[in-house]
Amino acid sequence: MAMLKTILGNLLRPSRTRDPADMPDVPPVYRGALAHDAARCTACGTCAFVCAPKAISFTQDPGVSVSWHFFIGQCSFCGLCAQNCPTQAISLNADVPAGMDSAAGDGLRLESVVHLQPCTRCGAAHVPLPDATMAVLWGTEEAERGYCPDCRRWAASARLRSAFVPAAAEEVHHER
Amino acid sequence: MNLIERVVAISRRRSPWICRLNAGSCNGCDIEITPLLSPRYDAEQLGVELHGTPKHADIVLISGTLTLRSREAILDIYAQVPNPKAVVALGSCPASGNVFAGSPLVLSESLDSVVPVDVWVPGCPPRPQAILDGIARAAKLLEDGATKSQLQNWLGRLS
Ligand code: SF4
Ligand code: SF4
Ligand code: SF4
Repeated sequence: MAMLKTILGNLLRPSRTRDPADMPDVPPVYRGALAHDAARCTACGTCAFVCAPKAISFTQDPGVSVSWHFFIGQCSFCGLCAQNCPTQAISLNADVPAGMDSAAGDGLRLESVVHLQPCTRCGAAHVPLPDATMAVLWGTEEAERGYCPDCRRWAASARLRSAFVPAAAEEVHHER
Repeated sequence: MNLIERVVAISRRRSPWICRLNAGSCNGCDIEITPLLSPRYDAEQLGVELHGTPKHADIVLISGTLTLRSREAILDIYAQVPNPKAVVALGSCPASGNVFAGSPLVLSESLDSVVPVDVWVPGCPPRPQAILDGIARAAKLLEDGATKSQLQNWLGRLS
């Protein structure tokens, strides 16, 4: 009879110790699920360079976009990518990544598309700098916000030249 | 499924027996299984019991990088687990080889190419609660008859 009671109890009662959802807290500095912010990414490739297991890679659609790819099944959660990203586009959150059914998809892979923009001066497609960076460099009004790296260099040297040779300032055209 | 089979399936979910298999791990994943069995994480809340031999197990937890030599051991031990069985892969190593990928004796491929894997637990190493969640998912799959090995047996019987 006692055995029957135990069997019925095991079948019908919920767990008697902890609740499955009642888990010890994750430490706030835990390096868990990785997130990528395409609006901050300049596709510089630093994260892929520092990643020892090669969890990060890039693909390109020339002239249109650059895609940042991440495969969680290859990540060792070292945090080097987040530490080395110059624009802080990568963050490792304290959430525990959930279990998955296959190593090929189902949340294991992240893709983040960085769209290219035409330069407002020469038209060359380039990755724009993050808004916060541009605000620090040029404020909100400056024409240089839409420039590609080449045109930014040109604009910087033009400014330098006009500082040395004030007369040359009038000759500076926004053309090549 | 008759009544007895149903009761057996429910019982198996409510008390899955697990065995560990280290396929070449750095020991990080294995060391996370130890707190899982302690009162802090309390795997026994789900009836999980660790067994030393694959012959008593329902669920095999496989951790670590696959190597040329461990491939044979995995196949051997997997064959000793009685049906129905489920496989849970722990951490990044079984999914890709992780930082060890490309070493001469490392397979650098997913564990799926050796044995059918039912649940992948991400992390390096995964948190004990993530491993427990993986075991619970595998136990549910076992009850539903939906693990890859059960489905393969079922297909085998059909053909
Ligand atoms: S995420 Fe950061 S480091 Fe990686 S390419 Fe983008 S800007 Fe560079
Ligand atoms: S956390 Fe480390 S292993 Fe993971 S993507 Fe970043 S650099 Fe690579
Ligand atoms: S996934 Fe990480 S912790 Fe687990 S065996 Fe591989 S290297 Fe070690």
